Amino acid sequence: MKRNHLHLVFQDILQGFSSWRIWLLLGWRDINLRYRRSTLGPFWITLSMATMIYSMGFLYGKLFEIDLSVYYPYIATGMVTWTFISTLINDLVEALSKASGFIKQIKLPYTIYILRVLTSNFIVFLHNFLAIIPILLFFNTGITLLLIFVLLLNILLLLICCFCYGFIFSLLGTRFQDIKPIIGSVLQICFLLTPILWMPQMLPERFNYLASANPFYQLVNLIRDPLIGQMPSLFTYGYISLMILGGFIVMIFLLWRTRHRIAFWL
Amino acid sequence: MTIISLKNINLHFPIYGANTRSLKKRIIHVTTGGMIEYDRNEVITVHALKNINLDIQEGDRVGLIGANGAGKSTLLRVLAGIYEPTSGDLDIKGKVSALLDVMLGLDQDSSGYENMTIRGILHGLKFHEIAQKKEEIAKFTELEDYLAMPIRTYSTGMQLRLAFAIATAVNPEIFVLDEVVGTGDAHFMHKAKERIDRLISNSKAVILASHDNHTIEMMCNKVIVMHAGEILYFGETKEGLEFYQNREL
Repeated sequence: MKRNHLHLVFQDILQGFSSWRIWLLLGWRDINLRYRRSTLGPFWITLSMATMIYSMGFLYGKLFEIDLSVYYPYIATGMVTWTFISTLINDLVEALSKASGFIKQIKLPYTIYILRVLTSNFIVFLHNFLAIIPILLFFNTGITLLLIFVLLLNILLLLICCFCYGFIFSLLGTRFQDIKPIIGSVLQICFLLTPILWMPQMLPERFNYLASANPFYQLVNLIRDPLIGQMPSLFTYGYISLMILGGFIVMIFLLWRTRHRIAFWL
Repeated sequence: MTIISLKNINLHFPIYGANTRSLKKRIIHVTTGGMIEYDRNEVITVHALKNINLDIQEGDRVGLIGANGAGKSTLLRVLAGIYEPTSGDLDIKGKVSALLDVMLGLDQDSSGYENMTIRGILHGLKFHEIAQKKEEIAKFTELEDYLAMPIRTYSTGMQLRLAFAIATAVNPEIFVLDEVVGTGDAHFMHKAKERIDRLISNSKAVILASHDNHTIEMMCNKVIVMHAGEILYFGETKEGLEFYQNREL
């Protein structure tokens, strides 16, 4: 009997999602443990994020000579989204290897360990989000009820995207142990290449593709656009849809080829 | 009724050398058409289980014996669904609970109570079911106030007590265990044995790996003798133990 049946892959994903008790608890506990010994608890995250955004926003706003009422909301929303995506990727690379104690002891869907990392990072994201609310209120970015609805939908899209690519990264990270530092340095470059500190309009027209072709830019747009009072473009939605589709196919393919071997890699 | 059926199960265990686990070296290897060789790049495979055929009936208590490296733990992991065999048919009717390495999966920074919750959830219990079990587990461990402290402050023996109590709190259908009660003081060993006896008598089938022939003789009605990934003998306990002892001589 061949062990790499495709239906076992889908079974893993479906059972993983339905074991919500496990991944919510583990994800929540990861955050709890990290901040157990500090008085402010997870609000340290909020505080350090706020410090960074408020100081960088001022400096770069002056450097680029952009009106702070435009620049502050732009950099704040961009930074929060970027931080979510980059720490998530960093954590996901180790998602399975860190869970080796569980994996070798009890048979559970691998999906659980991906969702656990997603949960803890999303909790951090929500804390970071608190840091930018004063900016959004103070500069009155023109958020409407419709845009809030769009934002919630976009968060869902972002999470789906993160799940697919996260699974891919965690499989690669488990199989190839030197991938973590590689990802770390690649992410640093991506941060500078992605319009977070700078705006795509600053590019000469003919170099515009440098921004729009960048997947990180499109992911950041999902969250940033509704928060600074604009609808994300159709291009963004098209790009993201293709990204999710591609990621889903690659994820399924990799799982189909490797799922039965994951336990041997640990 | 046959509750576990294994037909021609083979397991090839890949052992990855450091080079095969490096993405950089992989890429260099591919882009240079394999001209730059960093040592040997192949993955070594160990044929850990060879053509295993096994039928275990409901009510069987099967002892698993064999020298170190005979494949006992690997077979238990296959039964628990942790390792998937390379080929062969595996048919298990019921939910398998494994007690392999009790210490694995304990979280050092969480307290004893929190570890109970985590384990309980992992085993598919609901929060209120765990709350019901906590008292019983706490009583068994005799750790009392320590249970509210992070378990990295425990001694190894205390951790073992907790791990064992948690892992054995749920009644399994099919119970797979690997020499769990190795260390511990005499008082705990006695209690642990009682508890295992109770679990064993409550479950539909038990597979127990042990080096202690006395334990096997007491608990099991059948015995599997393994050597180098193969089953040499499967049958009555008494004959099996004799067979094993004669082989050893």
